[in-house]
Amino acid sequence: MSERAATDPVTLQIVANALQSITDEMATTISRTAHSTVVRDGMDFSGALCNAAGETVAQAVSVPFHLGSIPTAVGTLLRRYGDRMRPGDVFIMNDPFDGGMHLQDIFVVKPVHLAGALLGFAVTTAHHGDVGGRLPGSSACDNTEIFQEGLRMPWLRFYSEGDPVEEVHRLIEANVRIPHMTFGDLGAQLAACSVAERALQALAERYGSVPLGVLMDSLLDYTERLVRQEIASWPDGTATFTDYLGSDGVETRDVPVTARVTIRGDEVIADLSESAPMVRGALNSTRSFVLASVYQVVRCALTVDIPNTAGAFRPVTVITKPGTIAEVVMPAASSMRGVTGFRILDALNGALAQLIPQRVPAAGEGGNTLAIFGATRPGTDERFVFYELVVGTWGGTPTWDGNDGLTNPASLAANIPIEVAESEFPIIVERYGLVPDTGGAGEHRGGLAIERVWRCLTPETSLIVRSDRATRPPYGLAGGGSGAPSSNVLHRPDGTEQVLPAMFSTTIGEGDVYVHRMAGGGGFGNPLDRDPAAVARDVRDEKVSAAAASELYGAVIGADGLVDDTATAANRMERRGT
Amino acid sequence: MSARCGVDVGGTFTDVILHRSDGRAVVRKVLSTPPGYDRAVVDAVTDLVGETGEALTEVVHGTTVATNAVLQRLGSPTALLTTAGFRDVLELRRLRVPHMYDLFWRKPTPLVERHLRFEVPERMAADGTVLHELDEHRVRAIAATIRARGIDSVAVCLLHAYVHPAHERRVGAILSEELPSATISLSSEILREQREYERSATTVVNAYVRPLMSAYIDRIRTGLDAAGLDATPLSIMQSSGGVMTAQDAKLRPVFALESGPAAGVVAALGMAQRLGVDNAIAFDMGGTTAKASLIENGAITRGREYEVGGSISAGSRLIRGAGELLRIPTIDIAEVGAGGGSIAWLDPAGGLQVGPRSAGADPGPACYGRGGVEPTVTDANVVLGLMPAGQVADGQITIRRELAEGAIERVAEPLGLSVLEAADGIHRIANARMTRALRSVSSEKGRDPRELALIAYGGSGPVHAGGLADELGATTILVPPVAGLFSAVGLLFARPEFHEVRPCHLDVDAVEPSVVVGLLDEMEDALAVAIAGRDMPVLVRTADLRYGGQSWEIEVELPTGPVDRASLAGLRERFEAEHEVLYGVRGQPGSQVHVRAVRVAALGPLSPAPSFELADTHVPSRDATRRAWVGGELAEVPVRARSAVGATSMAGPLLVDEYDTTVVVPKQWTVRRHLETGTLVVERGGVS
Repeated sequence: MSERAATDPVTLQIVANALQSITDEMATTISRTAHSTVVRDGMDFSGALCNAAGETVAQAVSVPFHLGSIPTAVGTLLRRYGDRMRPGDVFIMNDPFDGGMHLQDIFVVKPVHLAGALLGFAVTTAHHGDVGGRLPGSSACDNTEIFQEGLRMPWLRFYSEGDPVEEVHRLIEANVRIPHMTFGDLGAQLAACSVAERALQALAERYGSVPLGVLMDSLLDYTERLVRQEIASWPDGTATFTDYLGSDGVETRDVPVTARVTIRGDEVIADLSESAPMVRGALNSTRSFVLASVYQVVRCALTVDIPNTAGAFRPVTVITKPGTIAEVVMPAASSMRGVTGFRILDALNGALAQLIPQRVPAAGEGGNTLAIFGATRPGTDERFVFYELVVGTWGGTPTWDGNDGLTNPASLAANIPIEVAESEFPIIVERYGLVPDTGGAGEHRGGLAIERVWRCLTPETSLIVRSDRATRPPYGLAGGGSGAPSSNVLHRPDGTEQVLPAMFSTTIGEGDVYVHRMAGGGGFGNPLDRDPAAVARDVRDEKVSAAAASELYGAVIGADGLVDDTATAANRMERRGT
Repeated sequence: MSARCGVDVGGTFTDVILHRSDGRAVVRKVLSTPPGYDRAVVDAVTDLVGETGEALTEVVHGTTVATNAVLQRLGSPTALLTTAGFRDVLELRRLRVPHMYDLFWRKPTPLVERHLRFEVPERMAADGTVLHELDEHRVRAIAATIRARGIDSVAVCLLHAYVHPAHERRVGAILSEELPSATISLSSEILREQREYERSATTVVNAYVRPLMSAYIDRIRTGLDAAGLDATPLSIMQSSGGVMTAQDAKLRPVFALESGPAAGVVAALGMAQRLGVDNAIAFDMGGTTAKASLIENGAITRGREYEVGGSISAGSRLIRGAGELLRIPTIDIAEVGAGGGSIAWLDPAGGLQVGPRSAGADPGPACYGRGGVEPTVTDANVVLGLMPAGQVADGQITIRRELAEGAIERVAEPLGLSVLEAADGIHRIANARMTRALRSVSSEKGRDPRELALIAYGGSGPVHAGGLADELGATTILVPPVAGLFSAVGLLFARPEFHEVRPCHLDVDAVEPSVVVGLLDEMEDALAVAIAGRDMPVLVRTADLRYGGQSWEIEVELPTGPVDRASLAGLRERFEAEHEVLYGVRGQPGSQVHVRAVRVAALGPLSPAPSFELADTHVPSRDATRRAWVGGELAEVPVRARSAVGATSMAGPLLVDEYDTTVVVPKQWTVRRHLETGTLVVERGGVS
């Protein structure tokens, strides 16, 4: 019976749906009850369920980047506490050297029991706005060792059989800048774990005759089968691609990220070991986060829709070397390693594009920009940390233009509404929009860059920025051009202007205006092959200037907004000739 | 007594129900007449009135015309005016993507493209400080451009106008002067809520459908007038489940966008009330989607957000970005892409999948014999014997069992299953998908589905309700009469409704009660003007609260009686209790609780419920039993007409064949008829 049921395609779909709906419920709970802008508005969190062995069996539609990191975290928890977990226990961890990603991502995990047996784990992770450390917001590219980055928690018992562990709570409260925000978000994570616990227990009771663990195992096997079948349809081969971070976190310089991707039969091998040695600043990635990046790339290249389980990882091997930017070792800093993950994605995609070109788009913006403002509210002694996300644009694809202004598919972040930001923080957003002529030219144009401009209303304001792609813009593919590079400029009230690097920590004052422009997406295909009508539409919408239409696309657009076909043909012929 | 008429227009059929002065109802189903949907409406109403000789006191209309205009991009070219620097808010949206791991997803083109979005130099701060004065010359120049481009509908959404609308109103006034023939939609008159993208999107949809809806309503009015019904008021169903005047609908059509499904839930509520059922899930399964909505403590559950044209995915309502987002008062309805027409298919690893692709009305399920070859849920139900072969719906459709079997064979064979086993699998997978919608309105909100009755309607709802009830642990299923055109019934139950809201930012423990009283008085004065002497006996006062630091509010009703310190403490307690029900926790003791909006709704009188003494439209004479797969085995199952089911419980398994659906009574369940309403009550283990 259980053998048959475990492989029964009907039961499998039903259980997969049920698990997915539990994680959806977790995500809703976190977003609706969280306190910080980065979690409740920016959506930087994940909810997932793991089986008793720590393998992910469902993930909410939240941050895809977290999926691959969850098994590492839960695996470490099992090693530390596997034989000492009781109903009502909740565990907490943020230590990159104990299964975590960086100190800002705090895991809150609740083992779920039923009738004395471990069913699995309710797993949440959320990006916290501040965990103490050297600067408000904790994350800073120029942190040079983990001890500057905030409170470091290896796996600890956060609740013991339903009761809060007071010592751990007091320790957290004493080490973060805005305890009510931290505990508000931790409360949201706890609520999601409780919601998931109830639902998972109810599910297990309904399938009493077949252990839920058996059903979860066959769901993992099923996912693995789907992925292997698709990989087997790809051509065998090996390709290498090097992309670059434009800073080591402290100063501007090229930091190479090299991916060697091999497709062999129904398996993929991703080798990151040729990437740069660890850097001075906080850009060093954990191996677990590299795993997440590789899974993201493979998962996106698949055409079939598969359940979001760890079974998808089984056909994938990842090679990293300790001491490189792709495998941080003590005591290097990692708080801003997110940008490294984005660049690893770009490098992997660059390699994969050589093997399965129809499945890979040109590079997008290169990762979310973080801008963290910290100061004291005017007329009070109350501190605030305003954690801003500036979010993405897409590269051109083999079939269509890159989306103009859309979250990087690896992060699925949302923007923070201006009316919310201005109501809660002493800041003014002066502009937020697309920038013309910034999308990489191509038959399928890259997405336009986003610009966001803030006016600072407080003196002595700490401003920490992580952006990239100022010196090495997003690449195009198949003859498409690069996206426009990013930039950071500070306008002072006295009229002076200061150009800032991609990554910096500084102090700004009242009346300063900070202008951040992200990079544009890369183009796909030869721009001279672009449909002239699409160019005309871009010109009409002021996304592409008439000059660029002629110079980059060879399209001549008349004053009436229509394509001059004859002039365009002549122009294109001339440009192709050179 | 007076006669009223409900008309529900869908893509294929226009359903009409006339509630006669003697309390009885007459129904009529006619083909819709796209693109001039108003023609079938006027003709059907005129015909029914002629046949019955009734003097109508009201026509209530629910329509998908506005929704279709958005989905098919058939609205009016629209311009949008924004604060300088924020032209792209509409296009950037919240930047979210509706699903993970898809590098080829395409963001929908905004309803207003970039060249028709204009920036107005002006700026309000969050506290109402004017940072930049409004540049009126620039507004007039923009108006000239709009005029030159022949645009006749304009939306305006300026930053912070939800609470400081002075600049926006001035812009509106200037545009009205400059563009006398255009319709102007101001965000502060459509949605007084924070968050610029959501407000822009809602205002833009309003502007986009306004000329079209306005003309449509005028044509119906003219048609009714010509038929001698010039004294009969016309009301339009809202997405909230209430009705508004035709005049109001012409100004704010966005509120009428999803009125069909809303009417179904209103009908379910009316039915539940007459049966004395307080807690239920309204479950509507049609051809392409299934919808679920929670009825709790005798009331409909309200939502504030809706996405039209989104890829439908239940339970994941955090997932935004697939369609046009609307922040309007709605009935909270979860929807999944599983209906009778949903297609079953095999993924590359041999997994059986159902939907979301649908065979739709054309070609329809394979068993209709109209060219469909892929197996659908309806084909599975025919193979299982749950739905009859032969002629249904007055012979408009002939169901051929052998075609259904052939289609199911396409998935059964590769799976190594019999046709019957595969059909059962399809039926159960469809149930699993729909369970997500049902869970998202029950357990996901902290409500135990085992304590809820399932009110099943729509063409396939009564077929699947039994399996769904088992999945959820529910023990009662209610199937109303005329289940197939139940949404039209809801139009007769709907009450007139007017809403006012005032955004605010108050600490519930510290605020002077007089401040809240002032807001309520202001709104009630405004409502008095809008109501204009109509009978609106019920005022509902609610407030949106959240813990300090959160960004999502929970709406709770104010305690009755005067607003004072004690009632505000009661309000806080209601909020905290609801937070605990929803999320399992309260805030830390002493947490601040903020009031972010105060609302007043004025409701009209309840309509007397119609009775349905309808003749059976389908009397099973061909076979009193049918071989069907019920409760995990194949058996000869008795088939009855609804009228043959009496007040005494009959044991399942049993099939009740009707005009366009079949009520499946599983084994271990019983069925009886509630004689007063004609509702079938299906209960688990109801007979000893």
